[in-house]
Amino acid sequence: MRRPLVQWVIWFSVLALVGALMLMVRGRLDKAHVALAFLLIVLGGSSAGGRALGISLAGVAFFGFDWFFLPPYSTLVINNPLDWLVLIAFLVTGIVAAQLLESQRQEAEIARQRADEIDQLATLGAETLNAPRAVDALDAIANVIRQAMGTDRCEIFMRNAGASLRLAGRSPGIPRQEDHTGLLMYTVEHAEAAAERNDGTLTLIGDAFSATRAHFPMPLPLTDLRALGIPLNVRERIVGALRLSSPQSFSLSNDQRRVLSALSYYAALGAERVRLAEAEEEAESLRRADRLKDALLATVSHDLRTPLTAIKGIAHEVLHGGDRDRALIIEEEVDRLNHLVGDLLELSQLNAGSLRMTMALNTADDVVGAALERVEAAHGTGRVQVLIANDGSILVGQFDFAHTMRTLTNLLENALKYSPPGLPVMVRAWREGDRLRFAVEDMGAGVPQADEARIFEPFFRGSGIPDGVRGTGLGLSIARQLAEAQGGRLTYTPREGGGSRFLLELLAGAPPSEPDEIDGLES
Amino acid sequence: MANTSREQPLPDVILIIDDEPQIRRVVRNSLVDVAKRVSEAGSAADGIDAAAAEQPALIILDLGLPDRDGLEVCRDLRSFTSVPIIVLSARHSDREKERLLDAGADDYVTKPFSTVELKARVRAQLRRAMARSSGDRHDSIVVVDGLVIDLVGRTVKRAGVEVHLTPTEWNLLRVFIAHDGQTLTHAQLFTAVWGSAAGDAQQYLRVYIGQLRRKLEVDPVRPRLIRTEPAVGYRFELGE
Repeated sequence: MRRPLVQWVIWFSVLALVGALMLMVRGRLDKAHVALAFLLIVLGGSSAGGRALGISLAGVAFFGFDWFFLPPYSTLVINNPLDWLVLIAFLVTGIVAAQLLESQRQEAEIARQRADEIDQLATLGAETLNAPRAVDALDAIANVIRQAMGTDRCEIFMRNAGASLRLAGRSPGIPRQEDHTGLLMYTVEHAEAAAERNDGTLTLIGDAFSATRAHFPMPLPLTDLRALGIPLNVRERIVGALRLSSPQSFSLSNDQRRVLSALSYYAALGAERVRLAEAEEEAESLRRADRLKDALLATVSHDLRTPLTAIKGIAHEVLHGGDRDRALIIEEEVDRLNHLVGDLLELSQLNAGSLRMTMALNTADDVVGAALERVEAAHGTGRVQVLIANDGSILVGQFDFAHTMRTLTNLLENALKYSPPGLPVMVRAWREGDRLRFAVEDMGAGVPQADEARIFEPFFRGSGIPDGVRGTGLGLSIARQLAEAQGGRLTYTPREGGGSRFLLELLAGAPPSEPDEIDGLES
Repeated sequence: MANTSREQPLPDVILIIDDEPQIRRVVRNSLVDVAKRVSEAGSAADGIDAAAAEQPALIILDLGLPDRDGLEVCRDLRSFTSVPIIVLSARHSDREKERLLDAGADDYVTKPFSTVELKARVRAQLRRAMARSSGDRHDSIVVVDGLVIDLVGRTVKRAGVEVHLTPTEWNLLRVFIAHDGQTLTHAQLFTAVWGSAAGDAQQYLRVYIGQLRRKLEVDPVRPRLIRTEPAVGYRFELGE
């Protein structure tokens, strides 16, 4: 719609023009022609410019009609009393028509707003349902609310078990540094919406957002706001809070307020969905831990008791005059127990998802070296050959050092254990695209094809394991889980020419672009 | 200093703070020829008292004490003594080790440990402390593993051939030599080399170490000078 002032100018010009034209042919016109022509102009003005314009046009036309077209001309006096009837009828018709058009227009406007609101709700519904992750849905909801309210930012906070709040979803854009959590705590504490004005004061505004509020028949004006906090309820329980804010002050109309009430319910449902998803995740990890516990109990009863039995027996012999060799066996058995305890601890941490990851830029040299130190301390030196690609710059990756070292250690220990003592074990590292790759190869018997799919399962022991080779059945399982926990992969393929080949892939990294001022000091 | 360790006199007292009598016995037995006497304390409170009263040359502190958190005990001890503290830990958390070292512990040994390893760690710490207290700073020339490091002239030579080091590599080497035998956490190395300034360079610490190793070590994947303490930091070893 064009600006109202323009409408007024246009329609009064039309009125003057038509009046002037009719004035030129006044002698040949009937009163009815004049009345109809003016009435058309009043109707046109009303529909284009609203009620006020229509009524003003009718009033001016009323006097124009009397002055120019009803004898005696150029006076407001009217000779024929019947002419009064025409004049009054014209005025009343004009005004009634203007009123009718106006109420029609208002209804259309309301219908349009309703359509907009339904549109927003439909968008929200779609966003909520389509987002595969509950957290993404919350972001989407925040964005729709922000757009509908025309504010700068919208954030959705979830209530933690301890009543504190945490940000769970927000509209896109740069997060603002200022903190308005005071407003939110206030909102949640009072279970009522609250406004933060530009002067920093906080005001409870009741649930002016729900239609049924007896206490506030006249909703408080929501103008001059810096931020608005709304508690999010699902089934009478506060699950979180929503915050609208803008760097400049903003206002909400009553219509927006009503829409916000509906939209914030979606936000509440979204927050509830996030909570349920988290609870589900937790339950899943508990179930996993439970399954592991069963497997663990089975292991404890066998694999832990066997060495203990040996230790007890040999300690008894030592007590009655044993020798050095026996004491050595005790030490070996203890090492084995210690190894198993370490594996079990690590596995339970992996399963509980409580393993710490410290992703950092590390070198292949360093991590291979650390794994080698451990392996060679236990198995002696001389068998492991290291081939690290060297094109002048050092090979780097983005990974967790301790976990990668553990993975490589497990692979190397496996290779040493499952291949004949005289044959070498190779560890290579090189870069391929955005991946840093490590391969550990041995020249043993390899993994029987039937077992290939299962070697990474916890507690799985292969069928063709040579006599005297003992293990926990956890090494490969831990190695793979550690690799995957840092976004990497661990796979097995038979080695060409016989034996096993384990390939570990991690994210490669970039060394410093400026390699430190070379030879900066010597001159 | 690399060859003065053998003749050092035995220190009077080493203090072991552990609530497990068995562990105290193992430690005591393994250290009989390292100190004149091994004093024992069964709780954090007793241990702090003993540390103040007996002025031990070195303290071995168990982390799993029933009465206090190990990290706190470590800070408490550090508030009045600067003697080496070696921590015994059964927990395999690297983060905890890092925190302990930052809190002032000099080294840690993970349970179950071999007595050989414990003894070596204790000897190394005593040697370091001795050198520190006698004011015996490093000679300006350090000879180790076929390398001749001239700290004043800022040169490194292997078999008479100069090894070129960048300024960052030099700074790292200097810090390492000054803290010979001591595990330095990543954070401590950052601070020592780059100061408190947060910068792009810090994330490359491990890369610079790698480059330094390639220049100094005979076999960079089997380093003998700059040892890795996985996920915690690095330790420089001039050897016995």
